[in-house]
Amino acid sequence: MAGGYNKFQRRNVGPVVRPYAVTGGRTTPRSGETLDFIDVVVSTGETIGVVNPAHDTPEHRKILRMCDRQTTVADVGSATQLPIGVVRILLGDLIEQGSVTLVRSRPAGSRPSTKVLQEILNGLRAL
Amino acid sequence: MAYAHSDTTGVASEDLLTPFKIVIGGGFGVGKTTLVSSISEVRPLSTEETLSTASIGVDSLAGVSGKRTTTVALDYGRLTLGNQVTLYLFGLPGQERFSFLWDQVAYGALGAVVMADVRRLDDCFASVNYFEKMGLTFAIALNCFDEAPMYDPEEVRAALDLDPDVPIVMCDARESRSVRDVLITLVETIYASQYRAESRWA
Ligand SMILES: Nc1nc2c(ncn2[C@@H]2O[C@H](COP(=O)(O)OP(=O)(O)OP(=O)(O)O)[C@@H](O)[C@H]2O)c(=O)[nH]1
Ligand SMILES: [Mg+2]
Repeated sequence: MAGGYNKFQRRNVGPVVRPYAVTGGRTTPRSGETLDFIDVVVSTGETIGVVNPAHDTPEHRKILRMCDRQTTVADVGSATQLPIGVVRILLGDLIEQGSVTLVRSRPAGSRPSTKVLQEILNGLRAL
Repeated sequence: MAYAHSDTTGVASEDLLTPFKIVIGGGFGVGKTTLVSSISEVRPLSTEETLSTASIGVDSLAGVSGKRTTTVALDYGRLTLGNQVTLYLFGLPGQERFSFLWDQVAYGALGAVVMADVRRLDDCFASVNYFEKMGLTFAIALNCFDEAPMYDPEEVRAALDLDPDVPIVMCDARESRSVRDVLITLVETIYASQYRAESRWA
């Protein structure tokens, strides 16, 4: 296991900016669809701001950069320390304008096969 | 909005990140944060939620007109298992007033761990009820606080009125090995039930 994370153990800092200021006061994603914490997102390579210049804030850019590689909503939240509700809205903007796409590899809540479960078990036993 | 599926993104399927979610429930102060941080690679997540009716009456917000949101730090842990498979651990906020978050956190979970302290077993009733109702496979982790007496797991099973196939394991939330063993037990239980299901289809 990687070291060095313990210093974050008790970390419970609030966001630096009033969180919903960066969403223009919106508290739900425009699309009406709420992203799950472990939904996987990745950038499409489209230039940001083509559709809506209002979606070209530093926070949008920061999130977009994180989507160079497949990542989850929770990981974006953890890395940016933006509240998960805000991350979901900003990701929704990026998805709407086509800069980011949602990768749904399996229906939510469906149980993985024994083959995948075996992989998880092997991984845990190797820790 | 059009969401691309994995087969249309141009990303080779072997590169797909496959995340799974395990949620950690249990009463206030039972060791959820300790458990998640002793095994995780990452720092916690903060979340800002619009207060729902479920949380109206929160003391600290009483009389603060116009205050609609509150920040909750979520226990969040990540375990990378090989190249593609990643386990995400999320703690369900123990305080009743944050229970409105449970559905969001637990949605689509693979399984759950309920942490219990034998000295105050009733604190975990809410989590047990919640996971049973959701139909989510869960394991009970009896957190070994130094002062706590040893208990026969079957006494705990009787006290919690648990089905015979719910595993009950001892755990020291401060020890990553111990936490790992709890997760292995949980996934083995999920495996066994999936194995039975697959045998029925075959
Ligand atoms: N002796 C012992 N102490 C523990 C163990 N697990 C947690 N503790 C201690 O118990 C206290 C509470 O643990 P937390 O991890 O904060 O509990 P929690 O469930 O996250 O609490 P809330 O989020 O407030 O509901 C801390 O002081 C821990 O150090 C354990 O296995 N053994
Ligand atoms: Mg906690």
